Amino acid sequence: MNDQGIKSRPAYAPLARDPVGRTHLLVADSMAIPHAAFAPGTSLGDYDECWTVEGHSRAIPSAMPDARMHGFRSASHLLIALRRRLAMEYMGFRLYAIGTEAFLWDVAAAAEAAGMGKEEYALFHAGSGARRVLCVHCRTLNQGVTTNLVACGGCGAALFVRDHFSRRLNAYMGVQVDAEMPGERPDVEEIYR
Amino acid sequence: MIRHDPLAVRVAAIEPLSATLKRLTLESADGGALPIGSAGAHVSLILEGGDRPFRNAYSLVSMPGERGCYELIVRRTAGSRGGSAFIHERLGEGSVIGATVPHNLFPIQRHARKHLLIGGGIGITPLLSYLPALRQGGERLELHQISARDEVPLFENLLAPHAAHDVHVHAGRGALDLSALLARQPLGTHVYVCGPAALMDHVEAAAAALGWPASRVHRENFGAAGGDPFTLRLARSGREIAVGPDQSMLDALEAAGVPVPSLCRGGACGECLTKVTGGVPEHRDHYLTDLEKAEGALVMPCVSRAKNDLLVLDL
Repeated sequence: MNDQGIKSRPAYAPLARDPVGRTHLLVADSMAIPHAAFAPGTSLGDYDECWTVEGHSRAIPSAMPDARMHGFRSASHLLIALRRRLAMEYMGFRLYAIGTEAFLWDVAAAAEAAGMGKEEYALFHAGSGARRVLCVHCRTLNQGVTTNLVACGGCGAALFVRDHFSRRLNAYMGVQVDAEMPGERPDVEEIYR
Repeated sequence: MIRHDPLAVRVAAIEPLSATLKRLTLESADGGALPIGSAGAHVSLILEGGDRPFRNAYSLVSMPGERGCYELIVRRTAGSRGGSAFIHERLGEGSVIGATVPHNLFPIQRHARKHLLIGGGIGITPLLSYLPALRQGGERLELHQISARDEVPLFENLLAPHAAHDVHVHAGRGALDLSALLARQPLGTHVYVCGPAALMDHVEAAAAALGWPASRVHRENFGAAGGDPFTLRLARSGREIAVGPDQSMLDALEAAGVPVPSLCRGGACGECLTKVTGGVPEHRDHYLTDLEKAEGALVMPCVSRAKNDLLVLDL
């Protein structure tokens, strides 16, 4: 029991540099970018700059990277630099993101906040399939959920993880699994890895 | 609901701005409040009493939200379909004419981070109503007006109330590097252009070449100029109507007493869409898709014409 036929779950296509863009920045939340992230015949070399997350304290903080390749300590660190960069960019700029869904939609929110539209950024899901789940009853965000059912970290409700994804909240919706028939619960399965 | 009954308006003032430009102030003929036009809106004036009735669309240049009067600026053009000549020659203060309620096919994009306005000649008119609305909202704006050399002082005068802002008048197309202008705009900018078709096409093409998504480029279309005369045949009645070289199909139909619903009269809104059952249309609108234009089964009579001598309409 996982999919309820809801179509709001985002679909992602491999990335290709938009030929009409003038500047192309690729951001990823991992140093290990899979080949599958790029459309056939294209590669990392097509992009002007590539920012990655090293996930290590040896990455030196830099407010505004200038090298073609730059590593950040963390996704949060990268997103701060990205917001500053977008505030200085011009029309014709294109942004591409590769990573977990939570990272992708944080990048998308930064792009939209800077005035970019869907034609100007592209996302590709790579890495963990774990979900960020919003408890619709108490609004707690539960991170890294890999199972079809999860106990809400805020109110303890047994949440069923729906395929209903909110781009605004960057989370899947979690609803009380046995709201209709108390005690009637499916088996717990690990399905989002 | 779209209200189609025309308003009766009285010409309260006519102010000559130059040899070819007049500013008209219109008030409700019954002294009441007029329907509100938002920034970028236009009204069509319904002018009767000449050889044939004219309906011409003009942008409002009065303050958006003004209910006491409508102000508009009319240029008398050599190749005009007759309406602007009628206004310049026949209309006097106190005349009562018909006007449609304001419609807006060129609205401000409220989610834009910056508004880049480009006017060509009298195409400045819808942008004149943008300026107070954008300033009131504290929006970031930049305006470039391209003008014939001898009209630079005229447009500088019209733009004088906004001179403290990023507002510039250029003498001729060559005086403004449009590509450089578009290349230096920050993310989230929308560009609005109103003026000759060649200028609007140029801005569209230059923006696309610099990676601007089409959704960030907005143009206001005026009626296209005339062309070769041709004949319309109405398939249902067999009646034939001549379309003159300086007349639109829509004007010819209206003059012959065949009512066709219309709004913008500039090939943008789609209201006057009419089926074609014979002949080949020469499409000049921005409403039909390329595929629909190639099929030739539909036409926008406000701006389009015929490729041959005869066009048969399903009317």
